[in-house]
Amino acid sequence: MRVYVLRRVLQIVPTVLMITLVVFVMMRSIPGDPVVALLGDAYTEEDAVKVRAAYGLDRPVLVQYVIWLGKLVQGDWGASILSGRPVLQDVLIRLPVTLELIVLSMGVALVIAIPAAIIGALRQNTWADYTATTVAMIGVSIPEFFIGVLLLLIFSIGLGGLLPSSGWVYLPGTCPTMVCGVSLWGNVQHVLLPAVALGVGRAAILTRLLRASMLEVIRTEYVTTARAKGLGERPVVFKHALKNALIPTITVMGLQVGFLIGGAIVVETLFAMPGLGTFGIDAIIARDYQQVQGFALLTAVAFVVINLVVDLLYTFLDPRIRYA
Amino acid sequence: MADGGAPLRTKPRPISGSSLGEAELTAVRGVAWPAAAERSEAPLAQAVRRLRRSTTALVGVAIVGVLLVVAVFADVLAPQSPITSDQTHTFERPSRAYPLGTDQLGRDMLSRVIHGTRISLLVGVSSVLLALFVGVPLGMIAGFYGGRIDTLVMRVMDLVLAFPIYLLAILLMVMFTPTAGLIGTMKVTGAIAIVRIPIYARLVRGSVLSIKEKEYVEACRALGVRDPWILFRHVLPNCLAPIIVTTTLGIATSIIVEATLSFLGLGTQPPTPSWGWDLKANVAFIQANAWLSLFPGLAIFLTVLGFNLFGDGLRDALDPRLK
Repeated sequence: MRVYVLRRVLQIVPTVLMITLVVFVMMRSIPGDPVVALLGDAYTEEDAVKVRAAYGLDRPVLVQYVIWLGKLVQGDWGASILSGRPVLQDVLIRLPVTLELIVLSMGVALVIAIPAAIIGALRQNTWADYTATTVAMIGVSIPEFFIGVLLLLIFSIGLGGLLPSSGWVYLPGTCPTMVCGVSLWGNVQHVLLPAVALGVGRAAILTRLLRASMLEVIRTEYVTTARAKGLGERPVVFKHALKNALIPTITVMGLQVGFLIGGAIVVETLFAMPGLGTFGIDAIIARDYQQVQGFALLTAVAFVVINLVVDLLYTFLDPRIRYA
Repeated sequence: MADGGAPLRTKPRPISGSSLGEAELTAVRGVAWPAAAERSEAPLAQAVRRLRRSTTALVGVAIVGVLLVVAVFADVLAPQSPITSDQTHTFERPSRAYPLGTDQLGRDMLSRVIHGTRISLLVGVSSVLLALFVGVPLGMIAGFYGGRIDTLVMRVMDLVLAFPIYLLAILLMVMFTPTAGLIGTMKVTGAIAIVRIPIYARLVRGSVLSIKEKEYVEACRALGVRDPWILFRHVLPNCLAPIIVTTTLGIATSIIVEATLSFLGLGTQPPTPSWGWDLKANVAFIQANAWLSLFPGLAIFLTVLGFNLFGDGLRDALDPRLK
């Protein structure tokens, strides 16, 4: 087991290197030059050459990548070409916002999906099941941003501005700069709509998967045995059925992380949140190479690590699975 | 092997008559088995029957059908041009003249939503088909021949899969530089297709790995049938069910990805009507003109729902075990 974990952790390195390298090459093959944007109206060919030299942009792409990597190992993520701000600092400011959004949205998803799936599976083909499956079907068919728009219409506009439609208020103690709104209640108000918008779609997918695998599991012999030996319904459902039904579900949820990252970008854009998603998309569109690299690095690491965690969760959920 | 292609990877086994099912025998060229002809039709007929019994699948088929008609006849159905702006009629509320109102440029929302169907369906369907036509052969070759080709193909696929899909799609679109019109639509199609190719390659490779060990493939080889014929005539039909299901459900996903790219400003560019773009553009006016962002969103939802229902029904019909 320990060897397996170590091997998997070591495999993260080449994957992250590959992803960041591909992003690096792709960004530099994009038409348009950040130097032109930086110099603006004052653009002259001489200045452009100087600026390119200053940022090392005149070197071959692979050399640039190696230089970027070398600095990264020393903890230097580079500085934004356009604003001059250190990338690491910006990323760290924005990371907590996105983390809060994603964690809460997964919470929303679990709170909705687990009861819905259990009810759906245990009362298969009743109105409760039909409601759960229909709502789940609708849920998987609505893109996050449209759920967000609907929530905006209901809670920020319809109900007299009950919840704010955009912006962000930080949790006490997390304010990254000198000036920013800080309050617990304000934070809850601002995160609620985005978290629900992002969570509902996940909840729908989770409900469908979990209901299907619950249906399979409750027909197995060990569940019948558990019932036959007089075990109560609660331990049968939660200890025997749910735990086993979660195994295939978790695999797919791991694969869903790629969609979650896209969802975060979209939801943050819609609600104008100062998170990593808006940071990334702004950087990509502005062709701010260093910022994009920082964003890609963080996303890649998160993606790979979550998939690793998913694999490791198996051993907890199914002790029969042993890795050599 | 008549062409001296792939060596037999399996140990030669005696082919006994009883190991071949009747349906499989008809698949072997030159073997006539009149009674089996009907039965080999059975799975398809069975699937159609099951599909017709599922109300939800029929609803899905109906939605998809209506949308196809709307997309094809958009020019006839749309009351006005989706592109021409009319500065004297901006932000009209829904009325008889403008059933869904007008946007900030005075363009008829109904016409834009109707024409938006084209982009959505075109990108959704063609990106998935493009991915299918590239991914399926790759998966077949990788699975059938194994060895170095397999390793090479699957490594590249793994690299694409290692990317969070939206990060890759966004980067590809920035690389392609989004534009309007047909070219712009083709760029989005290409970006989404690239992201989807590995899904097919993996799926098909998995199926082929098990199918190529089957007796009927061995029988073909014993008869000296060439590899391409085996692949397309015997291997492909047997992994068709998951391909069809993945394709239908994949169209739903692709439509969402297209809408999301448009929402981020990276899809087909204006003035070409696109639901995602329209939704995004009108969110700015949501305070006073709520209906404007509602209709493009509803259109996306309905389209995705249609393909999802259809795909779910197909999956249940084609393979009841997958339920």
